[in-house]
Amino acid sequence: MVKTKNKVVLAAVTLLAAVTLAGCSNNSASSEDTSSAQVKLPTAYKNSSATNSNATKTGTLKLAIVNSSPFQGITDPILASNAEDSQAFAPGGQNNLFNVDKNYKIIDGGLANQKLDRKAKTATITIRSNAKWSNGSDVTAKDIEYAYEVLGNKESTSSQYSSDFENIEGMAEYHAGKSDTISGITFPKGETGKVAVIHFKEMSPSMKFSGNSFIWGSIEPYEYIKDVPIAKLAASEQIRKNPIFVGPYKLDKVVEGESTSWSPNKYYYGKQAQIGHITINVVSQNNIDKAIQSKKYDTVVPSAAGQLGGTDYKNLKSLKNYTKVGMPALGYSYFAFNLGHFDTKTGKNVEDPNKKMANKSLRQAMMYAVNVDQVSKKFGNGVKWRANTLIPPVFSKYYDKSAKGYPLDIKKANKLLDDAGYKKRNGSKWRSDPKGKALVIHFGAMSSSATTEATYQNYLQQWHKIGLNVKYTNGKPQEMNSFYDTLQKPSQNAMDIWLGAWSLSSEPSQSQLYGVTAPFNMGHFATAKNTELINKMNDKTAWNDKTRTQTFKEWQEYMNEQAGVVGEQFNYAWQPVNNRVKGFDLSPANNEFYSDLTLTSSKLK
Amino acid sequence: MWKTVLRRIMIMIPEVIILSLLVFLLAKAMPGDPFTGSINPKADPAQLHHLMEMNGLYDPWYQQYWNWVVHLFHGNLGNSYQYQEPVARLISSRAVNTLWLALFTTVLTYCFALPMGMYAAKHEGKLPDTIIRFYTYITYSIPFFVILVIGIWIFGYVLGWFPTTGSISSTANPGISSAGSRLYHILLPGIMGALFGTVNVVQYLRSEVIDAKRSDYVRTARSKGVPEADVYKHHIFRNSLLPIAAFAGYSITGLLNGSIFTETIFSYPGMGLLFINSINYRDYTVITALVLIYGILNLLGTLLSDIILSIVDPRIRIE
Repeated sequence: MVKTKNKVVLAAVTLLAAVTLAGCSNNSASSEDTSSAQVKLPTAYKNSSATNSNATKTGTLKLAIVNSSPFQGITDPILASNAEDSQAFAPGGQNNLFNVDKNYKIIDGGLANQKLDRKAKTATITIRSNAKWSNGSDVTAKDIEYAYEVLGNKESTSSQYSSDFENIEGMAEYHAGKSDTISGITFPKGETGKVAVIHFKEMSPSMKFSGNSFIWGSIEPYEYIKDVPIAKLAASEQIRKNPIFVGPYKLDKVVEGESTSWSPNKYYYGKQAQIGHITINVVSQNNIDKAIQSKKYDTVVPSAAGQLGGTDYKNLKSLKNYTKVGMPALGYSYFAFNLGHFDTKTGKNVEDPNKKMANKSLRQAMMYAVNVDQVSKKFGNGVKWRANTLIPPVFSKYYDKSAKGYPLDIKKANKLLDDAGYKKRNGSKWRSDPKGKALVIHFGAMSSSATTEATYQNYLQQWHKIGLNVKYTNGKPQEMNSFYDTLQKPSQNAMDIWLGAWSLSSEPSQSQLYGVTAPFNMGHFATAKNTELINKMNDKTAWNDKTRTQTFKEWQEYMNEQAGVVGEQFNYAWQPVNNRVKGFDLSPANNEFYSDLTLTSSKLK
Repeated sequence: MWKTVLRRIMIMIPEVIILSLLVFLLAKAMPGDPFTGSINPKADPAQLHHLMEMNGLYDPWYQQYWNWVVHLFHGNLGNSYQYQEPVARLISSRAVNTLWLALFTTVLTYCFALPMGMYAAKHEGKLPDTIIRFYTYITYSIPFFVILVIGIWIFGYVLGWFPTTGSISSTANPGISSAGSRLYHILLPGIMGALFGTVNVVQYLRSEVIDAKRSDYVRTARSKGVPEADVYKHHIFRNSLLPIAAFAGYSITGLLNGSIFTETIFSYPGMGLLFINSINYRDYTVITALVLIYGILNLLGTLLSDIILSIVDPRIRIE
C-alpha cells in the first residue's frame, strides 16, 4: 500500500484536485457543524461471506488506476516521481522497509526493525532473517545503504534527495561527489549481513515515523542492479522490464504505460498472498465510473491521496454489489496569501510589512467571506468538506477536530474590514486600503474543470460582496506550469491570494512546507512564533508524544488565527470495492494489505 | 525525376534546421521547466536546481541548442525528463502502437469510403445518394470524442464485446495470442474511426465521379458500347482517384500523428498522448524530437504525394 513515501508529486495532485474538486464532495451543511453532510465511510470492507478458496487461488483481482495518461513504468520508488508508478507497482510492496501503526509510527515486524539511539545518534536497522527478493536472493544490509546511494548520487535522476539527508554523516560529501561511499552508514556484520547502522549529526523525533525526511523507507536490490550506472538506472531493464520486489506479489508482466500483472511471490517473508493473479490497468478519468458500473474492475488501486472524486461518488454511491470504503486523504487544498519574499542570500523567507495582504484583518475577512461549506456541499457529494485547519484528519492524533477554521460569516468579514480601515470612499463600490488608496487584489488559480472554475467564480463573487475588488491574476485561471512558475520565484507580485493543493508525506512535520527556510513556503509566512512552533515539532521536547501532539494543536490554532495560509478542503481517499472481495482494509496499520485479500467468487458480483 | 526528388530533399535540409530552431526556442519560451510543479513537502528545491544544472537547463539557449544538435548527429535525441529514459526508445514504443491503430483505421476508412463514394455518384440525386451524403455530413458534424465515448459505452461496457483500455491484454502471451490481442484492442477504435472518418474520401470521390460521368471520354466509351460496369471500372474510377491520390502521401506519413481523443478515451499509449503530456510536463527533449519528426514527415508527405500523383496521372511529370 502506499503507506508512506513522499512521492506524490504536486503535479499529480493538482490535476487530481482539479478533477476531484469538480466532483468534490462535500460536506458541511451548516457552518456550525462542519461534518454534518459529510458521508461516513468505513476504512475496511471485511465481507461476511466465506472465502471461496478455488476462486481465490485461480482467480484474478482486477484493479484500475485512474489516469488520463500512461504511467511511466519506473518501478523503483526512489526514481519514480509520479503517483501512477507507485500504484502500478503497488502489489510488489514498494520495497518498504518498515511496518507502521495507524499513526504511521514505525513498529517492529516488517521487513526490518528500527532502533533509534538518541545518545549515540544512530538508527540501527535490522533486517529479518528470512527476508528475500522475489528472485530468491537474500536482502542484505548493503541493500539498505544502496538506497541512499541511488538517492544521493551526484548523477542520480531522482528528485527526492533533500538537504535533510545531509544530517547523515558523510552524506553531503557523497552527494557532492567527494567520496565514493557514505561514511555514516556502517555494516557491523558486513555488507551481506542483516544490520545497517546510520550515524546522524542530530536526532529528530520525526525519525520515529514512516515518511520522515531523514531515514529512507525503502531498499534497493544492490546485487541485482549494481552493474547499472546510477544515472542510467531508471532506463534499465532491471528497473523497467524485469524488476524484483520484496512484497507479497511478483511482477509477471508489464505492458508499457498501460497495465501490469502479478502473481504471489513465494519468497515473501510475511503472510503468503492468496489471490492467484492481480491485474492493474490504466483507465481514463472519463471512463472509470462506467467501467466500474459494468463490473470491469473490483476496485481501484488504493492511494493515499485518493483517485476518485465527488462526481464519481455521486455516480457510484448507489451501485449494487460495491461497498464504498475510504480514509481521509493525505492532502488538502488551501488558500495562501502573498506576504513577503524569499531571500536567496540568507535562504530565508522574509515577511514584508508593506505587502498588500500584510494586514491580518483583511486576510481573515476574505476567509470569512467565502462559503467553502456550501461549495463543498454543492460539488462534493459528501467526500469533500471544508478544511478547518492545515493538518488533515488522516493524522488522527495531531488533527485538531475542534478548530473552527473559517465558516461563512459575512457580517464578521465586513466588521473586520471596517475596523481595520478598509472603507468605501468617494462613493466607490469597492473598499480602498486604510490609507485611502485603491485596493485591487489578484487571485491566482489553476485552470481546471468547469465545476472547479465555477467554484472560483463563487469565491470571487463572495469577495465582491464584502466590497473587495478581487480579480483573477491575468484575467483567468492559469495553466499549472505558469502558476507554479510564478509562485516559485523568490519574489512575485502577480498573485496576492491563490488556491493550491498539497499532497503529504505520512510524517506530518511542517518545516518543509511552512518553515522559515522552506522555499515551498510560497506565501513567505514566516513569523517568529511560527518558526518557534515548527521547530518545537521536532526538538527535544517532541520525543514525548504528548508534547508533540500539543505543539501540533497549538500550531494549527496559530495558523488559523494568523490566516497566512488557510485550509480550503479536505477529502476522502475513497473507493468502491466489489462485494466478492474479502479482507479489504485501508488502514495504514494493515501492513499485509495485499496478502489479506481473498475472493468469495470467481466472477465479479 | 530522381534529380527532382533529390533536389527537393536537399531543400528540406534548411527547412528542417529552421524548424528545429523554432521548435527549440518556442519550447523553451513556455513558462516553467521540466521540474516545475514536481514539488512535494519532503522534496528539496536545491535538488531540483541540481537536476536542472545537471541537464544543462541553465545554459544559454544557443549552447543548449548546439548541444542538442551535436547529440542529434550522434543519433542521440536525449533523455526524457519525465520518463527518465532515452527519447528514441520512448517514441519508438509509442509509434508502434499508433502505427497499428492508424494503419488499421486508414485501410478500413478506404474500404468503407470508396464503395460509398462510387455508389453515391452512380445514383446521383437518388435516395442512396441522399442517404450517403446525409451520413457523411452527420458523421462529420458530430465531435469525434462524443462518438468515442458513446461507442466505448455501448460496445465496451454495456455489451462488453470489445476491450476498453490499452493496446494489448495484460495477460496475453507472446506470439499469436499477443498479435490477436493487439488486433482485438484496435478493433473498436479502428472501426469507429473509419465509420466516422469517411467524409473527405466520399465527397471527393463522389464529385469527381460525377464530373467524370459527364466528360467526353466517358461519353465516347459509352457510345462505343462499352458495358456500363466497365465504363465505371476502367474509365471513371481511375480518373476520379486523382484527388485522393494527391492526399495519399500525407495519409501515409500522417499515420504517426496519433489521435489524442482515441488515445485518452481508450487509455491507448500512442503518439498523440505522448505529445500532449510532454508539453504539459515541459519535457523539452520529447517535444523537440516529436515536432522534428512530424515536420520531417510532413515534408516527406508532400514529396510522396507529388511522386504518387505523377505515377497515377500520366499528364503530370516531375522534371
